[in-house]
Amino acid sequence: MSNNWEMVIGLEVHAQLKTNSKLFSSTPNQFGSEPNENVNFIDSGMPGMLPVLNFGCIEKAIKTGFALNFTINKHSVFERKNYFYPDLPQGYQISQFEYPILSEGYIDIDQNNKEKKRIRIERAHLEQDAGKSIHDIDPKFSFIDLNRVGTPLLEIVSYPDLSSADDVVNYMSSLRQILMYIDVCDGNMQEGSLRADVNLSVRRPGEDLGTRCEIKNLNSFKFIRQAIEFESQRQIQIIESGGKIEQNTMLFDTSTGETRAMRSKEFSHDYRYFPDPDLLPITLSQEQIDIIKPTLGELPNQKLDRYINEFKLDKDISKIIISEKENTIIFEKLVSESDVNPKTIASWLVGDIFAYIKENQKEVSFLENKTQNIIELLQLISEDVISNKVGKDILPKVIEGTKSPKDLVKEMGLEQVSDTHELEQIIDNALEGEEENINKFKSGSDRVLGYFVGKCLKATKGKGNPKMINKILLEKLSK
Amino acid sequence: MKKSISQIKKSLQDKSISVNELYQEYFSIAKKNSHNSFNFVVNENYNDHNIQLSQSRYDSGKPLPLDGIPLGIKDLFCTKGIRTTASSKILSNFIPQYESFVTQQLINDGSLFIGKNNCDEFAMGSSNETSYFGPVINPRKSKNAPNDNFVPGGSSGGSAASVAEGACVASIGTDTGGSIRQPASLCGLVGLKPTFGSCSRWGIIAFASSLDQAGPITNCVEDAAYILNSINKHDFNDSTSSNHQRDDYVTNLHTKFDQSIKIGIPKDYLKDLNSDVIQQIEKTKKVLSKHNIEFVDVEFTTTDYALSTYYIIAPAEASSNLARYDGIRYGLREDGKNLDEIYLNTRTSGFGEEVTRRILIGTYVLSAGYYDAYYRKAQKVRRLIKNDFQRIFQDVDFILTPTTPNEAFKIGDKLDPISMYMNDVFTVPTSLAGLPGISLPSGLSSNGLPLGIQIIGNYFQEKNLLKLALLAEKELAFNE
Amino acid sequence: MSDIDIKRISNLAKLNLPKEKETFYENSLKDIIQWVDNLKKIDTDIIEPLHNVTETTVSIRTDKVEKYNSVEDVLINAPDRAQNFFKVPKVVE
Repeated sequence: MSNNWEMVIGLEVHAQLKTNSKLFSSTPNQFGSEPNENVNFIDSGMPGMLPVLNFGCIEKAIKTGFALNFTINKHSVFERKNYFYPDLPQGYQISQFEYPILSEGYIDIDQNNKEKKRIRIERAHLEQDAGKSIHDIDPKFSFIDLNRVGTPLLEIVSYPDLSSADDVVNYMSSLRQILMYIDVCDGNMQEGSLRADVNLSVRRPGEDLGTRCEIKNLNSFKFIRQAIEFESQRQIQIIESGGKIEQNTMLFDTSTGETRAMRSKEFSHDYRYFPDPDLLPITLSQEQIDIIKPTLGELPNQKLDRYINEFKLDKDISKIIISEKENTIIFEKLVSESDVNPKTIASWLVGDIFAYIKENQKEVSFLENKTQNIIELLQLISEDVISNKVGKDILPKVIEGTKSPKDLVKEMGLEQVSDTHELEQIIDNALEGEEENINKFKSGSDRVLGYFVGKCLKATKGKGNPKMINKILLEKLSK
Repeated sequence: MKKSISQIKKSLQDKSISVNELYQEYFSIAKKNSHNSFNFVVNENYNDHNIQLSQSRYDSGKPLPLDGIPLGIKDLFCTKGIRTTASSKILSNFIPQYESFVTQQLINDGSLFIGKNNCDEFAMGSSNETSYFGPVINPRKSKNAPNDNFVPGGSSGGSAASVAEGACVASIGTDTGGSIRQPASLCGLVGLKPTFGSCSRWGIIAFASSLDQAGPITNCVEDAAYILNSINKHDFNDSTSSNHQRDDYVTNLHTKFDQSIKIGIPKDYLKDLNSDVIQQIEKTKKVLSKHNIEFVDVEFTTTDYALSTYYIIAPAEASSNLARYDGIRYGLREDGKNLDEIYLNTRTSGFGEEVTRRILIGTYVLSAGYYDAYYRKAQKVRRLIKNDFQRIFQDVDFILTPTTPNEAFKIGDKLDPISMYMNDVFTVPTSLAGLPGISLPSGLSSNGLPLGIQIIGNYFQEKNLLKLALLAEKELAFNE
Repeated sequence: MSDIDIKRISNLAKLNLPKEKETFYENSLKDIIQWVDNLKKIDTDIIEPLHNVTETTVSIRTDKVEKYNSVEDVLINAPDRAQNFFKVPKVVE
């Protein structure tokens, strides 16, 4: 930061839990349905309706507790948060206040070639999501869709340990990655599965904490960065010109890149939390908690360590693979189903295979039943039956097609020419009439070698074994 | 003498009367609605098909438990396709698309629905004077002022009046701080509030979630047992519904107790009471003492705090439960320039004075800075009250108290809120502890108006409670 | 006894008390709060609040979808609607 200012940032992340049904009602927990299609009488706050807890949400919370190093509280209580809004049918949100299900966790985030930084997480609690109001269809009216009412959220509240936009993005993307890995959240930020409220204040080093403002509902990393940049500058300017920061709740305008205060309410919020009398406290046994731990699976940082240490993969390549869980599923499947060197598998996956996926707008999971074919292809290459280049060329057919690579190679006559005798002839032909270039090579030009290799490959229609061609050429040229 | 359910069933079974004839006896009174005990009475033909089905079941000798019994339902129970208003302007046009759990059980058991009973608005009141649809008149008259109209009690005043006037055999009400027991007492009827968690609250318009319970108002104790059999069931969809083993409350109702019974009478309840009311307790002691029943004096330490506790907790829960009435998805909507105005106009116009008052109290005691001193404090005292009862139940099996500190008062009489709240002094502690309580008629005041006694049992002791109440009823053998 | 900010309380509850009635309700509230203030006399330092009378519940669902109503069931009582949306005056944040 410029001019000797520090940012102090805390993040409240709302993660929609990946359950089939909602937190307190049995309607579908689904994005993109027709308006009010996933709404029952409980969701719409009809008179006399009562909530019933979906235990699947507890299980997801416990899983998160393990993954983020939380204390999992055996006793937690649902409380009502009372306020009026059209997307809140009951006139209150069922949340947790005094006794959340998770307390005191942390994750360690990367810091651009410095050692990792620990971000402490104060708590995580379960609560209902609200509905959606559509404001921009009509100038005079807003339209309410309650589909999202009651969707289970885990609100994850960090301590203000974050000091920069980079920190925040690193923290949030690590959080997102972990939650996706353990199948707790689908991480789809465009659909609103993961949203962040940023609490930001500024101060000069050594000074007390400044007044913070809260920027609500940021749903992309890009907007988070922009909002942090703008807001910190806004606050700094105010202080530098002698003013005071007013504690405000802000919205981020994605079209202008600016934050602005929400319409000021005449009276500040008083949510009047009290334990929901329609529900009993959650009481978990040690057994109920322990039974979840084995379902966690390997976490991203554990995989990273294993790829580097066990498979000897390059750190950057490893990071690319672990960036999405489905990449790791395909990678580990390929590794376990063959004895091709994991490093080779990794570089093919991250290179040509992902390129194919991207170009053809497919999902990585598309590869799940193609792994046998891919393995066969890589084995053909490692056994020198075909060249690397040929492998790359036929990769799309291998992935898409129904024929095995072996059959393809046979049919298309793509076997490498590795016969020494044959190659020697081709090379001799290639060298004929090339005295000038031969002399160039002899006087130290390596580039000429490449030229000759290329010429030979062309003569073999690409099927010549490049390693052998190279070897034989060198032998001949050195004579 | 009013006919009991078992008498009715017998005469339907032995064909001395048909289902339709019986129904018309009650319906002809109901449709007159001369005490305003109904917000809604079904039309002439509503039950034609049900009556036919009921008759054919009697004809084949296989009637359902409440077959052909005309019932009133407090207008707090959501009845599918039938206007349900909570006696409030804000729900005056609301038609639920679902049936409450309790009323569904009554339908399943073959009863005939006759109408939605008037009540205090959102069940808040002790005299049925806060209803948007006007006050209910107690069918019982005073000796000294026979032309005056008296309150039936509340909040289930319409339920009690409809049974007292003969418009239905029984009515299902709700009791939060005494709303079944007190009107039953003032109308000379039996009213039972079961243990909290006995009957499902699903589909009952919520007033105070930790206190509301459905229960019967009937002409006799045995009828209450019949109704309880039908509605006292576990409901998965109500997270506060208890999963305990339920009894059949009718079988062995008339058999003697096989052990001795000890009944406690709280000294602190009886101080400063008028003599008419104390007389009821004395009378009951006398007639029951010959039945191997011992009476002992007991004393609560928390009686003075019960009303305060109740009038903090109930309004607090109500203020939150009534937040959903905002004019957006159902009910009344008043116009407004913007959303906030719609909220304000709808709620201000839609709620009556008592409801407004209780919402304000509730909002206050939950608000920042006051939560600890009021709401949290009241919840702590509530535990003390529960413990107080448990201490007393270590020594006695039942507790005997008056139901109300006085007889019915004239409509329009009691004007200030706190005096009104004091009506609940004997019923509120039971509600706070979640214990079962039954009120039964024990006699008349010197003005000739009904007075009742309350028997309180320990948790889920309804079977023995009803047995004892039946015995008391027999022994008091009150003939008017 | 603390002062009662009737404007604040009624605003939180979305009630618009007419000017003439504001004092009436304020006094009513004052009386009742004074009346319930007797709770201050009882010592509850070591007592846990009682939030639930029911002690245990079996009402815990497995994560299964169950739909039993139509969209129309939910919208049929709406004072104002547009197709399958609830309609309200424009909300400005």
